[in-house]
Parts: sequence; C-alpha cells; structure tokens
Amino acid sequence: MDFFISLVSDPVAFWNSHTLLIAQIGINCIIATSMFLVLYSGQLSLAAPGFMAIGAYVSVLMSNYWHTPGVVSTIAAALLAGVIGFLVGLPVLRLRGVFLAIATIGFIEALRLGVILNVPITGEGLGLSNTRSADPLGAINFILVSLIVIVFVVWRLTKGRLGNAWAAIRQDELAALSQGIDVARYKMIAFVLSALMAGYAGALEAHLFFNIDPGDAQYGVTRAVQVLTFAVLGGSGFVLGPVVGALIITLLPYIFQGAGDYINILAGVFLIAVIVFRPQGIVGRGGLALVRPAWWPKARVSAASPG
Amino acid sequence: MLLRLDDVRRHFGGVHAVDGVSLEVEQGSIQGLIGPNGAGKTTLVNVITGYARFQSGRAWIESDELTGRPAYRIAAMGIARTFQNIRLFKDLTAIENVLIGMHTRRRDDTLAQLATLPIFRTAELSRVKDAYTLLETVGLQKSVGTRHAATLPYGDQRRLEIARALALRPRLLILDEPAAGMNPNEKQGMRELIERLNADGLTILLIDHDMRLVMGVCKRVAVLNFGKKIADGTPEEVSTDATVIKAYLGTGGEREVTSAPGASGVAEETDVEQAASTSRAAREPDNPILDVENLTVSYGAIVAVRGVSFRVAKGEVVALIGANGAGKSTILNTLSGLIRAGSGSAVFDGLDLISAKASSIVRRGLVQVPEGREILARQTVLENLELATWARRDGAATRAQIDAVLKRFPILGERRDLSAGSLSGGEQQMLAIARGILAKPRLLLLDEPSLGLAPQMVDEVFRAIEEIHKDGTTILLVEQNALRALAIADRAYVIETGRILLSGSGDELLHNPAVRRAYLGG
Repeated sequence: MDFFISLVSDPVAFWNSHTLLIAQIGINCIIATSMFLVLYSGQLSLAAPGFMAIGAYVSVLMSNYWHTPGVVSTIAAALLAGVIGFLVGLPVLRLRGVFLAIATIGFIEALRLGVILNVPITGEGLGLSNTRSADPLGAINFILVSLIVIVFVVWRLTKGRLGNAWAAIRQDELAALSQGIDVARYKMIAFVLSALMAGYAGALEAHLFFNIDPGDAQYGVTRAVQVLTFAVLGGSGFVLGPVVGALIITLLPYIFQGAGDYINILAGVFLIAVIVFRPQGIVGRGGLALVRPAWWPKARVSAASPG
Repeated sequence: MLLRLDDVRRHFGGVHAVDGVSLEVEQGSIQGLIGPNGAGKTTLVNVITGYARFQSGRAWIESDELTGRPAYRIAAMGIARTFQNIRLFKDLTAIENVLIGMHTRRRDDTLAQLATLPIFRTAELSRVKDAYTLLETVGLQKSVGTRHAATLPYGDQRRLEIARALALRPRLLILDEPAAGMNPNEKQGMRELIERLNADGLTILLIDHDMRLVMGVCKRVAVLNFGKKIADGTPEEVSTDATVIKAYLGTGGEREVTSAPGASGVAEETDVEQAASTSRAAREPDNPILDVENLTVSYGAIVAVRGVSFRVAKGEVVALIGANGAGKSTILNTLSGLIRAGSGSAVFDGLDLISAKASSIVRRGLVQVPEGREILARQTVLENLELATWARRDGAATRAQIDAVLKRFPILGERRDLSAGSLSGGEQQMLAIARGILAKPRLLLLDEPSLGLAPQMVDEVFRAIEEIHKDGTTILLVEQNALRALAIADRAYVIETGRILLSGSGDELLHNPAVRRAYLGG
C-alpha cells in the first residue's frame, strides 16, 4: 500500500525514487507490444526473449568495442534482430499454433544455451560486463517516448490494410487466402516487426544494468512465458491489452507487497481469477463487462458478451 | 469459355479424389456440379482455387492459366469461393468481413495510416459504403453490418460469405453447398439470390446436394462420381441418365439398374404427393420395440430433423433412406443418446431415449455402428473386439462370443492378428459390425454401412447384415444406397430435408418414382 500512497501523494518523489522500476515497466510494455503483433496476426510465437538477447548483446558489444553512442547501437541491434527474425521466420512460420510455440522455444533455447553460453565474446555464463554504456537512470525519457511511438505505430498499423489482413489471418487462414491475402507474406511482416521491437526493447533493457545476465529468467523460457502472460492477462485483441498486462505483472510484487511470503500464491490466484472471469483479457473486445462462468451463482443482469 | 479444366487429377495416397476431370463453364452461365457423397466435388473446387495442388492437368480462367498458382493469387485473378462449412472471420463484424474481401483492390495505406489525415479517410469511407451496398445485394439488413459474424443467424452467415466473395469483384463465383442445412424458405431465398447475381452478369459454379436447387437454377449440370465426370448436360438429360441414377441410388445387387425407380420414364408424370399417399398405407407395427414420435433435432439455428415419427417392431429390418444431409445420421445419433433432441419422444423397450444416458441406452440393448466405422486402426482385429467387451465380467462367455463372431465373419478370423487399419474398407465395416454385435444388441443401428465401399464389398457387407438379422437381431439401417437397402428391408422410410417423405414396404418403395425424386429432385 505504501507504494501506491506515495504514488498518489507525491508523484515527483515517486518518480525520482522509482525511476528504474518505471524504466523496466516501459521496456516490458514494448516487449508486450511485440508479442501483441504476432498474436494479432494469429501466430503463437514465443521468440521474443531470443530477439531481446540479440538486441542486448549486439548493442552492448557495439558500445564496448566500437564505442558507438547508445542510440546508434540500440537501433543497429534492433535492425539486426529484425534480419535474424526474417531468417528464423523462413522455416518456422510454416508451423501453426502450439507447434510454432515449440519451434520458437527451440530457437530461444538454442540461442541461449548454444550461442550465448558458449561463445567467449558474450562472457558466457558470467554475463557480459556493460560498465561502459550502462545508464540506469538516464534513458528513462528515451524509453517512455519509444514506448509511446511504438504503441501508436502498431495501433495505426492494425487499422489499415495490413492490420485487416492480419485480423483475417488470425481468424481463419484458409478464408483469408480466399480473399486474395498472401498469408505467408503478412505473417512474415508481423513476425519481423515483432522481432525488431523485441530487439529494440532488449537493447534498451541491457543499458539499464551493469552486467547482462544470460539466465533463463532474462532470455529463456521463463521470460517467454512471462511475456505471453502479459498478453493473456491484458488481452490480445487491442494494442493496449498486452501493455496493461505488462504494467500489472511488473507491478504485482508491489500490489501484493503486504502479503510477505504469500505473495506468489496471491499473484497466482489473481491471474487465475482474471482468466476465469475475463478469458478475453482485461482489455478485451467486449468492453469491461465480466463474463460469468456457467457454474457461477445467478447473474442478475444477463451479461451478454458481444463476440 | 470463362473457366476451362483439362484432365485435372488429384490423388490422396491411393484415393483418386479427382481423376481426370475436364469441364467448361460458359461466361454468364450457372453451371451445376453434383455427385454423391465423396465424389470429389469439393476436392475439385479446392484444386481450381489453389487449396490443393494439381497433380496433372491444367486449368484456365479466360486466357489466364490457374495451374500451379497459390490460392491467394487465384482469388486475386477473380475466382471467389465460399466454403462448405462457412468460414467467416467470426469475431469481426459483418462489415469488416466484407472490407477484408476488398483487400486485393485496395492500395497499401500503411504510411497513410500513420499520418491519419482526413484526406486519407475518403477512400476508406467509400469502401465502407461499397461494403454496405454488397450487404444489400445479398439481402442483408444494414443493421447487420455492425454485428459480429458469429452472432448472425445461419442463413445470414451464408449470405454474408457470399457478400465477402463478391467484394473481390470476381469473374467466377464458386458456391460450395450454399443451401446446406437451410429450410425450404431459406433455400428459396438462396435460389433467388443466385438467379439475381447471375442476371447481373456473374458466372456461377454451384455445388449442392439439394437437387431441386441445382436442377432448378442451372442451365448445365456436370455429375462426378468416384472422381470422374460421368455426365454433363442439361438438368433433364442428367436426371434421366442411367449412370447418374445408378451413382445416386446405388444398385440393388441382383435387381439391376433397369428397375431403378422411375428410370423407365413411364411413371415420370406421377406427382410426388400422389405417389407418397399411395404408399403411406404401409402397416405400422402395433407393438414396436422402438417408437419414435414427432422427433425434432436442431444444431443451433439449423433444424436437421423436423417432426419425424416411425416405429420398428421386433425382428424387422427397417431402413431410413435419403440423400446426403437429409438428417438420417442425426436421427440415429439422437436415438443412441449422442445428441439431445429438441422435442418429441423416442421410447425403446420402455426406456425413454430422450433423457437416458448413452451408456444406459447401450446397456438396454440399443447399439449403434457409427458412420465411418470408427475402429481403432492401430489395434489388431482381436484387440478391437476385446475392447468392445472390456466392461463385461463374464470372461469365459465373452471369449466364446468373440470366437463365435470370428466364425460368423471368417474374413476377420483369418485377420485376427493384423492391425485393423490394414484391413480394406469393407473388412473394417465388418469389424465395426462385429464389434456392435458383441454388445449383445437387441436393436442394431447401422449408419451407412456401404459408405465408400466398392460394389462387391457392398454385397459382402449386406450379406453379413442379412445373416445377423436371421440370427434374430432387429436392425435399423440408414443408407444412401437406396436400392441396396430397400432390397433387404421389411419396411423403409424415405427422408428428405429432415422429414419423412414417404414410407412403405421395401418392395413398394423399390418401384416408387418418388424415391428417385427425393434423391435427384424434379
């Protein structure tokens, strides 16, 4: 509670004392938007942590060896993540649903265990030292502006011809083909844009810390599941859904601050409750009406959910 | 010629789904494409529209070659299609569905979207206006536009799918069973829509099981059977063609095609209703083991069975015959408790089948051999039979019964240790029936035992059915192969679009021209 009281009573002090947290929220929101894009086009891809790792390592290595400015190395690393996204997409985008999920998990684990932990230049298991370019507090404005621009661009993309094609593919690939939509091409566009954003977020995140940790929670399956949870919790029908999901998940430890040791149980119960009552996510297409499960005692107002 | 197919072939493994079909569709015409279940109609459509690859043969729309092109390219070339089991973008609104159909004739607007200036909105507004015009064209209200596609009534979904196809501004529209599951009124509406679109100059390739619709609306009709084109001509030519009648009604074993109902042409003029009334005199048993009264079953908005009443007496073979989609399997599935009836009653030996659980229905002795057989392909023949008895505790008696069944079907006895999946279709059907017998049925429901079988295998299967009947089992048989079923049935009911059209003894119906009409329209 103290956390929220300080947020309301003295926002300036809150901002100053929680800058790193806010930066992390902003980065998680960008990753969530990257996840949104693949889900919006009907692809259950869990590759985001892999592209984040590429963005992180490439940008830090550029800073360390070539002394490039942070903005340049961040953008270059994001572009490289996009290129690798294209190459990875060529074989894996033939897969659908849970098979695509497994293939993308294969990609992130092969990258982490096979490359990062094995190639000397990455610092292997010890992580990559980033004392040169790390700037935990200075990048906050850049991160928040990036987030706003990315969310705006993705939102506009979903409204145009591209977004209509994605929506059609998500709903029914065969029917989309019958409308003249080149399904493979539009899936690839979404996948590459998503890789680009994840790489960008990874590069930004790397500059928050003095050492890049190649652990599972950072670039492995655990992170992938966390990112997926952003989208499931927030809802993947509208661009702000995963952003809200990322905000809540990142804040969970603070929301349940008083629970002490029981914090994980409470967080788990909260997530399950959301999934039971709001299967379409907190920001779903059906507005904010709750969906009552069949076994729930009498609904006084009939909660007819459109869609 | 708008569309031209030249010797198109498509095989799946050993199955010749489309086996050398040549077809021409004239500009501005409505061409019909019919054929019994599994004839290869949908596969042919899938090949034309790029959903399945050509194995050989070529196809053109006007002078543009379709062969080897991906589905989205073919759509962009002006061939629009609908799907047999509606494929709308369910969670999008009706108008969004139509807007997506305009994809190919819309400029890429990615950058314009980022700027969101009002100047870029004019094109969008005119597209939305076009989309509403299309909804109107197919007979949908304006208010439907903002509703999610999945929430629309079934008939409206069919219409919306056509509107979406029209949004492509196609040269050719392929309709795959647009009237499937519709009631007569909706069918009439669909017929009017098809005629209106054609009058506006659109060429249409129509595939449907409803012969009244196809024969009524098409100027030319092609008939497929086992992947080959067996006839092509005017509706009159096709519906009196002996090969077509044989393909639809099957053959009656010894009774050959010459005795096909109405094929002689003598009784051509007999009115269906009149013919129906003459044979309705068939005696209904007084003391039935199965008594179905006024049974109505719906799937959501689709009413599949509409107030059907019939009876089966102990020791009888009763057949329910009718074309694909008439509602026959739905009746069987309702009787065995797999589907819940909307209304009506069904009583088997004092047990109310409408409310009883599927498991207690089987225990009472009403056993169904499902359509498509549903055997366990990886288990051996013997294991399949043993699994059928696993709930029984009388080990020795069960074993004796399995042996008896294997003796009754010697071909299964020979193959007891082979995996069931390696059996031929006919042998698999025998296995499915044998498995049904092990449940000690007093009434055996057989759903399409001849489905997909070669003629000589059909003979084998029907011989087996007759033998089971001689052993004292009452049989309710559902068949598309009408002549074969009528030849062994004591009594039969002809079902059309969920209703009993006529009933009578097997012999009476064999010579009743109305039976042919139930299949081929007229």
